[in-house]
Amino acid sequence: MINRARLMSLDAKWAVIIVAVSVLVVFTVIPMLYLIFRSMLVDGALDLTTYREVYSNLVNWKAFINTFKISLIVTLLSVIISFPLAWLVGRTDLPGKGFFRTVFIASYMIPPYVGAIAWTQLLNPNAGYLNEWLVHTFNLASSPFDIYGMGGLIWCLTLFHSPFAFITISRALEKMDPSLEEASRVSGASPLRTLWNVTLPLMFPSIFAGGVLVFIGVGSAFGIPAIVGMPAQIEVLTTRIVTYVYLGTGKGIKDATALAVSLMLAANFILYASTWLIAGKDYVTIGGKSTRPGLVELGVWKWPLFGLVSLYGLFAVFLPLGSIVVTSLIKSLSRPIALDNLSFATWLAALKNDQYMEPLWNSFVAAAITATLATVIALFIAYLLIKTKVSGRTLPDSLSTLGGATPSIVIALALIITFSGEFGLNLYSTLAILVIGYMVKYLTMAVRTIAASLSQVHPSLEEAALNSGASWLRSLKDIMLPLIAPSIVAGWFLVFMPSFYELTMSIILYGAKTKTIGVLLYELQTYADPQDASVLAVIVLLIVLIGNIILRKVSKGAVGI
Amino acid sequence: MAEVRINSVSKLFGEVKAVDNFNAVIRDGEFVSILGPSGCGKTTMLRMIAGFEKPSLGEIYIGEQLVSSAAKSLFVPPEKRNIGMVFQSYAVWPHMTVFDNVAYPLKIKGYSKNDIKSKTDKALELVHLDGYAARIPSQLSGGQQQRVALARALVSEPKLLLLDEPLSNLDAKLRESMRFEIKDLQKKLKITVIYVTHDQGEAMAMSDRIVVMNKGVIQQIGTPTDVYETPANRIIADFIGLVNFLPGEIKDGMATIPGLGLSLAAPEVPAGAATVAIRPENITIGRAGGRLSGTLVHKFYLGDAVDWRVEAGGFILRVIDKGMEHDDYRLGDTVSLDIKKYLVFPGQP
Ligand SMILES: Nc1ncnc2c1ncn2[C@@H]1O[C@H](COP(=O)(O)OP(=O)(O)OP(=O)(O)O)[C@@H](O)[C@H]1O
Ligand SMILES: [Mg+2]
Repeated sequence: MINRARLMSLDAKWAVIIVAVSVLVVFTVIPMLYLIFRSMLVDGALDLTTYREVYSNLVNWKAFINTFKISLIVTLLSVIISFPLAWLVGRTDLPGKGFFRTVFIASYMIPPYVGAIAWTQLLNPNAGYLNEWLVHTFNLASSPFDIYGMGGLIWCLTLFHSPFAFITISRALEKMDPSLEEASRVSGASPLRTLWNVTLPLMFPSIFAGGVLVFIGVGSAFGIPAIVGMPAQIEVLTTRIVTYVYLGTGKGIKDATALAVSLMLAANFILYASTWLIAGKDYVTIGGKSTRPGLVELGVWKWPLFGLVSLYGLFAVFLPLGSIVVTSLIKSLSRPIALDNLSFATWLAALKNDQYMEPLWNSFVAAAITATLATVIALFIAYLLIKTKVSGRTLPDSLSTLGGATPSIVIALALIITFSGEFGLNLYSTLAILVIGYMVKYLTMAVRTIAASLSQVHPSLEEAALNSGASWLRSLKDIMLPLIAPSIVAGWFLVFMPSFYELTMSIILYGAKTKTIGVLLYELQTYADPQDASVLAVIVLLIVLIGNIILRKVSKGAVGI
Repeated sequence: MAEVRINSVSKLFGEVKAVDNFNAVIRDGEFVSILGPSGCGKTTMLRMIAGFEKPSLGEIYIGEQLVSSAAKSLFVPPEKRNIGMVFQSYAVWPHMTVFDNVAYPLKIKGYSKNDIKSKTDKALELVHLDGYAARIPSQLSGGQQQRVALARALVSEPKLLLLDEPLSNLDAKLRESMRFEIKDLQKKLKITVIYVTHDQGEAMAMSDRIVVMNKGVIQQIGTPTDVYETPANRIIADFIGLVNFLPGEIKDGMATIPGLGLSLAAPEVPAGAATVAIRPENITIGRAGGRLSGTLVHKFYLGDAVDWRVEAGGFILRVIDKGMEHDDYRLGDTVSLDIKKYLVFPGQP
């Protein structure tokens, strides 16, 4: 009886491995290999001419350099801002620190391109709200700032990509045993010296990891560079790739592949090199029972620092959100912001406009399908990884991690060249190709969440079910699923939300009938319809906010990306 | 001089009174344990002495220096108190070698290179870690890490050493031997030690005096013998060691336990309901001549002793006997019990 159950469970496990691996191989590995292959093939022979040609074009070379330069600067800025912020919020008596912490963590869910749209409203040289206000307040002759340019680009990228550094660093700081710092204090070191001698070195691996996250995120970002950089003729790799794809010619696609492969190799190299560099240096998890940290008293610095942190919160969250909301409500953009200049007219018109509602619906459907499929696949992958000893159990997980680490634009391009009928499967401009793209990129989110929760379930629970004669699938359904249900819901939302507002892949993969909300917002922004863009941006933000509230409820605050 | 004086110290966390009116004088060179159940405020009190928490009320003196005073809003931060401290989680810095960990307080205080070297080597020798200086902490066992922490706490020769459950992450054997090492060190260095623990065995074995706490309030301060033999109240009798509680009544200076037919002299306890407390090792089992008779119902052989359960007058008494010829006794035998020592507390158990 037991033997048969064991045997069957082994078969089912193999079936699951095979299905999961084949799905991932077909949609992740083959497209990426094919992308590399195509970029290095000229007239049927291995040849690097495409690369030479692409990079001999100065625009592309500059884009490459820009990508690297901008990513580096933004990473440094993000780390320089995030570590002190995390420390102030986690270790000191800064007033309102709980509020700031929530706000900075929550700000990751502002889609970067929405942030960029908001800052173009605030700091465009013609009538940016903030520019106008500065001109009026200080009697200036002209607008002091122009968002379109290198400065604006770095500004926006830093504000909207640094939350990932902040989240990584402040999580690590919270996990660090505070007695490590207290031991330094009793040794005679002041709070600042302790920060320098103990906290900073111990946090270094996490700071580094957070930095890498930002670096790769910024290097792969399309939304902000497209909205803030392109109007000022500042190009990065992603914008170049999209431009080439939009040319629609065979040559254009070929050039795009060469750029995409460079981007992919650079990103993966940095990721794996950095993982290797900090391997075994994760000090943070060392340590025993954590005590509540004693708070460092800021003394006279308390209020000045409070002012600085508030100012950052204002720039990163409140001003942009306020700007979007106000713009969506304003009657006439040429008149100043006042109560009698506000109405819901734009809202009502936008809500009735099918051209707007359709993309919204498309995104919703695509994201929901992606999330559902991804959760099911993630469940099996995580199960294999955590609960079995089958050889090859880590393979599906590694493949999903690979997808998550690959820049979105690369995934999109790989999918489009692989599934445009070349191999008998034509998914061009279908909803399916969007779903596949989202899945390749975000599957790892669900895997991580479910795996974490599975590893908390004691093996004896499942063994008891198997010993009472239940098949493997049956025991999974009866025992495991109820226990890890919250993580499944959390995993679903963690895939749903980024898929819902996705822009970078969608801009390449969408078709006439499958325009997504991200693409629509981008178009509205570039065709200078800020009011309708703002209405839709507010809707996106609301949906993401609701998703996050549900996420926090089901996971009891444990997850929230 | 590192006498520690704690005057009427209270600590509130919002509504929670973690420490309530703590008064104690810890003499120079004394080893004092703060003992009590989990959550009773031991750590909070120690952290106030260290300077990681500010008292809500009261004053703390270390030596002649007033280090915390709620009324005068005076507060000396931990780095200026010149104390050594050992944490439950070792708190050894994983990014520094053993040598650098131990040398850290000296570097902060600006000692010369030579002094740092010689003092650090001395401290490592003291905790039997000579030869480990170049290691990094992840190459050390838990016990060795705790010794590094001890060396670091002692290296700059503080007059006061604070320890918060330093042994609770170690296994039983190691815990036992570390007790004596710490005690030895204290005697050798003649420093004042305040030692927080919830392990009564630890407190009894090491301390000159024990402060027993419960729910933020000091229950008793006394030598190990005091708190064990004459606990101030039922809570302490229950917390320290094993005890049989029997409901009794006081009349004319005598405690009687209805049902047991036992009367014990209790001249100092007011008339009314009372609790008679008898430790299991203070009851002896014999064939005849005792004050009570009972029936043997369970026997747990512990190697060096036998842990009996004896039914008498409707009560189940626990009796621990170390010397008797237990093979002569069978379960179900009727035996005679004698009581060597007992305590009587007012109020029902
Ligand atoms: N920073 C704090 N904020 C709020 N409450 C606290 C804080 N620190 C301690 N407490 C509370 O004060 C009480 C005493 O805590 P303390 O840590 O001193 O107990 P303890 O005796 O050391 O317990 P244990 O043996 O478990 O370490 C507990 O109820 C605890 O929850
Ligand atoms: Mg404690």
